[in-house]
Amino acid sequence: MLVFTRKRHEAIRIGDGIEVRVLRAGRDGVRLGIVAPPDVPVHREEVYEEIRAANRTAAVQGPDVATLAARLRLP
Amino acid sequence: MARHAHLRAHARPAECTAPPPALEHAIAFPDGIPGFEACRHFVLLASDDTAPLQRIESVDGPRASFVGVDPRRVVPGYRCVLGPADMRSLQATADTTLLWLALVAVEADGTITANLRAPIVVNPDRMLGRQVLPNDGLYPVRHVIDAAGA
Repeated sequence: MLVFTRKRHEAIRIGDGIEVRVLRAGRDGVRLGIVAPPDVPVHREEVYEEIRAANRTAAVQGPDVATLAARLRLP
Repeated sequence: MARHAHLRAHARPAECTAPPPALEHAIAFPDGIPGFEACRHFVLLASDDTAPLQRIESVDGPRASFVGVDPRRVVPGYRCVLGPADMRSLQATADTTLLWLALVAVEADGTITANLRAPIVVNPDRMLGRQVLPNDGLYPVRHVIDAAGA
């Protein structure tokens, strides 16, 4: 892992389209500004991990679709 | 836990005998979906006796099988705004009719949930799909549609 020390308002550039800037640093957290091309997804790690875990649950169970459909009785 | 095993234990054998669908009938997911990044092509399987649920099966990469439901069937008035990156990835315009599917999961206690936060969106015209991950979603990842034992 690359490690940089940055002060407030200083930034890091990744490739030619991504910029990560420190907007504010405090005791409880660091506020970052991200500039990235529109086709580069940017997510908080916990959001991505939550979706990944949910997808695994949805897949691993392999529910019987007909049983599910009968049980749900959606309108 | 065993009480609800019938919901998930016996789905596979009959389906395994079907030949793998041709890739050209599959929907491409150029970014994969989180947790299944190696799966880039899926098919949608719908039938009358499972409506409104649809099965979503991978046809490449590791075997992955999901059940999806139109989130508007779960929550009337459901809306989710697609960003420019989503529209570009789906090659969609404002006029494109998109297919929406929330992934359905059976939790360990038998509760059935739908992921309304991060729906699968498909552009049928281009056979392109994507799981949308809004950073500030209005809806939960585990929206309960049928409580355990109900």
